[in-house]
Amino acid sequence: MYIQIKELSFSYGRSQKPIINNFNLEIAKGDIVSILGESGSGKSTILRLICGLETPVCGSISINKQMMSDGRHCILPEKRSIGMMFQDYALFPHMSVADNVQFGLKHKSRKDKRKRVDQVLELVNMSDFRNRYPHELSGGQQQRIALARSLAPEPSLLLMDEPFSNLDADLQIKIRNELRDIIKATGTTSIFVTHDREDARAIADRIITMREGSAYEWDSLCTIDDLTEPALVD
Amino acid sequence: MKLNRQFSRLLNGWMILSIGIVLLILFPNISILINFFTQETSNWDHIKTHILPLLIQNTSIIMIFTGFFTIMIGTSLAWLVSAYDFPFKRFFQWGLILPLAIPPYIAAYTYNGMLNYTGVIQTGLRNQFNIQVDQRYFDIMTLPGSIFIFTLFLYPYVYMITRAFLANQSAALIENAKMLGSNSFEIFFRVVMPISRGAIVGGVSLVLLEVLNDYGVVQYFGIPTFSTAIFQTWFGMGDLNAAIKLSATLMFIVFFILIVEKFLRGRKRYSYTAARVRPLTPIRLTGWRAWSVFAYAGIIFALAFLIPVIQLVDWMVLTYDKMIDPVFLSLIFNSLFVALAGAAMIVIFAVIVANFARTQQNWLSKASTRTIILGYSIPGAVIAVGIITVFIQIDELLFGIYEAIGLDPTLILSTSLFMLISAFVIRFLAVGFNAIESGFDKTGIKFSEASRTLGMSMTKTFFKVDVHLIKGAIFSGFILSFIEIMKELPLTLILRPFNFDTLSTKAFQYASDEQIHEASLPSIIIIVLSGIAIYFFHHVVEKEPD
Ligand SMILES: Nc1ncnc2c1ncn2[C@@H]1O[C@H](COP(=O)(O)OP(=O)(O)OP(=O)(O)O)[C@@H](O)[C@H]1O
Ligand SMILES: [Mg+2]
Repeated sequence: MYIQIKELSFSYGRSQKPIINNFNLEIAKGDIVSILGESGSGKSTILRLICGLETPVCGSISINKQMMSDGRHCILPEKRSIGMMFQDYALFPHMSVADNVQFGLKHKSRKDKRKRVDQVLELVNMSDFRNRYPHELSGGQQQRIALARSLAPEPSLLLMDEPFSNLDADLQIKIRNELRDIIKATGTTSIFVTHDREDARAIADRIITMREGSAYEWDSLCTIDDLTEPALVD
Repeated sequence: MKLNRQFSRLLNGWMILSIGIVLLILFPNISILINFFTQETSNWDHIKTHILPLLIQNTSIIMIFTGFFTIMIGTSLAWLVSAYDFPFKRFFQWGLILPLAIPPYIAAYTYNGMLNYTGVIQTGLRNQFNIQVDQRYFDIMTLPGSIFIFTLFLYPYVYMITRAFLANQSAALIENAKMLGSNSFEIFFRVVMPISRGAIVGGVSLVLLEVLNDYGVVQYFGIPTFSTAIFQTWFGMGDLNAAIKLSATLMFIVFFILIVEKFLRGRKRYSYTAARVRPLTPIRLTGWRAWSVFAYAGIIFALAFLIPVIQLVDWMVLTYDKMIDPVFLSLIFNSLFVALAGAAMIVIFAVIVANFARTQQNWLSKASTRTIILGYSIPGAVIAVGIITVFIQIDELLFGIYEAIGLDPTLILSTSLFMLISAFVIRFLAVGFNAIESGFDKTGIKFSEASRTLGMSMTKTFFKVDVHLIKGAIFSGFILSFIEIMKELPLTLILRPFNFDTLSTKAFQYASDEQIHEASLPSIIIIVLSGIAIYFFHHVVEKEPD
């Protein structure tokens, strides 16, 4: 499998109870996987572990047969080439849209960098905004720039932490189909975290739910409503 | 194995530099504590039995009364300004902090100059009204006089912190008490004082640490305390060993204050940055109430700022034309040079440790920040003694090298400006650090994390992202430590190289030589610079909510 997470455990601070407990997950190349879970179930934490911002207590993470983290080594986040879209986007306020998108591009000539920036801005349909600053953009536009920024360096894995949580409902529905198309167009393997079943269903190829720090897989998308929150079935 | 892995992840340039900086602060302090337990000299024996009790008695009396009065004045002003509207309140809000711009030693000789036989008050009484006063009532150079000076010029610490607390946290509690029909005095003593306990204790412990740090006031007034005794044993008797033992004793008193502070504050630490719950809505006062509150705030402001400043300006006008000469310009240059160099080093060190501490939340980073804060609690005279023992040892180690490169094997480092600037860094690193840490707190960690996931190392992230986001905080930290160094007296007096004078040392020397008029110009420069910084930070930066 392209991505393998085995028996991952983690807790904040030494003596606290584990937030992530024996977490296992495998993902095939190019798939989009949704992780669904209640607030506080550890969804953000699992993404932070995968991209290297936290160090697991035990367990291993590998991407494309490359070990990211095991009992002995732990590769620094900047060496992992994993893209991360944060819950509140974290666009650098002191940089223009173009500079934000270009930030992660390395080992390229200036011309190639510019070309790549144009390309991804095109992809997210934001070419006209390249000279704006983040605070001059709407929530939906910021979200697309954040996506462009994390896609620009062609990450081997894209992590998204509730990318819709700052958008209003109408925009959310419009954008989530777009988001899937954009990601699929680049063929990037992705993990998408949400607490909204509709989001998960619209975007993901596979859906995982988190409970007590472990992952549970649901074979069929239709059963999710019944199994997680029966009261809200459409 | 786990530990090993954690460690290798932590082990980067930032951590190594941070540890180095923390050791720089620890070394002099530890060397004092260790030397406390070395062989006792006969001098120390004498000091211990004949002088130490007096030092402890004087220090305790000054601390107890200054503590009490600063609490009463600071808290009452904070309460009046937070809970009521009265004439000129918006000015008093930050104007009542201004006395901090006047270092107590400057206040001490200014007040003495006003009150003594040739001063403006007594000559006025003699010439206008032909009244001869009893000198006893006009002698400020006494223990009560020093308490008067410390109270007036240090109460702003209590005022500032308590007001920040009252503005942010107390609305619900106080409004409840009002609805239950308590009157204003009851509310002040039974509600405001108890709920602000943490803030008051925080403020008053700063006051007490400043009192212990002081050398200028007590030396000028001739009151034996630890600072003056340390100077005396060292320069007067030439007994560094006894000076170290005195320093260590003073350090134990500081630790005692810090422990009591922690204990009294209780579990819940107040914080400046706590989310604004609901600000207290001030009540508009009218008639005699409004004017009596105005009079109270006005009298404190006049005594603690306006009157001494007017007096200094008056003296300056008399003398400035014969004061400004190349020697005086070199004083300004010296002051600017050490303050700029010290502040620059402080800011760089503070940024390194603050960035390390926020990215690695572990015991090591916590210990680092604690140590830095501790440096600020240690009185200047103690740091001076500590740093000179360390530098002399370093020099002795380097004798061989000095000889090898053709220099005289004498004390080189321990007579250099480098030692003085290191001492400033140790003493004031906390000032820069607090500013920069709060800057990091405001921006949070998310931008740095975003940068890391985009392939930038911690160092590249720092230069490409963090620095831009905390520019303002770096600037604040720089200005604040710059001002502290400009005002500083005991460290500069002890550690300056031979014939090296700054505005503060020269002002103090003039005053000690009864050339009080000549002391005014350097004093005014110090006060104006500090005043601008205070205005800037408390009026412009922390814009009032209303
Ligand atoms: N820095 C931290 N220190 C200690 N505990 C933390 C920290 N961050 C998160 N936690 C705890 O870990 C648990 C999981 O947090 P996490 O942020 O992963 O949840 P989440 O599923 O992303 O929730 P949400 O949907 O609200 O974003 C929570 O109980 C939280 O309180
Ligand atoms: Mg989350």
